[in-house]
Amino acid sequence: MMFVETIADNVTDWVPRLLVGLRSTFGLTAGGFCLAFVLALLIEYLRSRRNPALRLIARLYIAFARGVPVLVILYLLYFALPGAGITLSALSAGTIGLAAVSGAYLAEVFRAGLSAIPTGQREAALASGMTPFQTFRLVLLPQAVRHTIAPLLINLVSLLKDSSICALIAVPELTLVSREIMSESFMPLSVFALTALLYFALAWPASLVARALEQRLHRPAAERDRGRSKRPAVEVTAVG
Amino acid sequence: MSDALPGLIAEALLTGALVTVNVTAGALTVALAIGMALAAAAVMTNNRMLQTTIRVYVEALRNVPSLTFLFLLYFGLASLGIRLPSMLAAIVGLGLIGGAVTVDIFRSGFLSVPAGQSEAAASIGLTPFVAFRLIVFPQGLRLALPSLGNYAVALVKDTSLVAAIAAPEIMFNARQLVNETFETALIYGSAALVYLVLTGAVAQFTSLVERRLEVR
Repeated sequence: MMFVETIADNVTDWVPRLLVGLRSTFGLTAGGFCLAFVLALLIEYLRSRRNPALRLIARLYIAFARGVPVLVILYLLYFALPGAGITLSALSAGTIGLAAVSGAYLAEVFRAGLSAIPTGQREAALASGMTPFQTFRLVLLPQAVRHTIAPLLINLVSLLKDSSICALIAVPELTLVSREIMSESFMPLSVFALTALLYFALAWPASLVARALEQRLHRPAAERDRGRSKRPAVEVTAVG
Repeated sequence: MSDALPGLIAEALLTGALVTVNVTAGALTVALAIGMALAAAAVMTNNRMLQTTIRVYVEALRNVPSLTFLFLLYFGLASLGIRLPSMLAAIVGLGLIGGAVTVDIFRSGFLSVPAGQSEAAASIGLTPFVAFRLIVFPQGLRLALPSLGNYAVALVKDTSLVAAIAAPEIMFNARQLVNETFETALIYGSAALVYLVLTGAVAQFTSLVERRLEVR
């Protein structure tokens, strides 16, 4: 098959370059996710305040970050900010842009995780003499984590996929490298298939784990203990 | 020159928005058709071959970036001699990706309809197909609607990627105008506003439909 041959012939040339691109993809994904995590905590903190102005800021931010394409945010950060005297490297603009979007989604994940806990849990903890902080750390947080791990993984996969958009602001990540190789080799089918395969190899395991966790979580407790279920889980769909 | 600028921006973004709406509508149609057909077939027949095929399709397309897939479709097929126009590649590409998203949404919608509904339908003598069409499908559709709305909003945003395969949508036009005028912040800021209006409209429309279909 011609397709396999072209890949085999060029693998020694392409793979090292794609792996260099992959390193930037990793950087964007990992850096973006860490920043997004912190941002999401901040948004959740603002939302939990009584001050209506702070809550409005958080709400407007989420509406903006979720209503505008990643590409627009990247263009604003990379091309428009220098006009205001702030010049970011492509890599930092990419990382910040991805985090800005992902943070808004993670904030919703955190909120959903906390609101999935029955209010009785908090009330019981407080009634038994725990301080609010102890209540949060010992009672609410452990239960919220159970509900957030799967959606966090799904968002991580989304972030990995979105990192490809940074190619359009010239971050030398996987997709940009594959475009460069394509324009030299004129073998777009093999190059992009190989690239897609690399993304898939990273994203698929995480997706599988996320789904397994999700199905565990949606099982009723009795069935979970027996370790089997025929009940299909309603899937949480990643968007973005 | 600067007097003409607002007009230029409005023209570029509005003609772009028209293309964005077209790509969204086209891809949404493709995605809903694929998702609905596959999910209905999977729920009704329980055929293992079909289940596996759907799984492979869903996993393959949901774990690869849209941009990479669009490049594969647009440049890859061109190298095989199949040169798709960029609009068609955009609609087919985003539609195929969307099908992988909606098939799961539809399926969990259909499966969330209580089993008693199809049992009752069978007990009054409806054939499995009629029971699905009249009983399970309408209820499942209603359950799937919020997720479908989220998908539609995400799709509007994803259409910005087809600028990279030269479909003249909002970002493509914005970029060209920036190259001519250097009004970077103004133009990309306005583009953000146009997207906010579009995604807001889609979200509003979905919640309107949801409210109309609510069981009272």
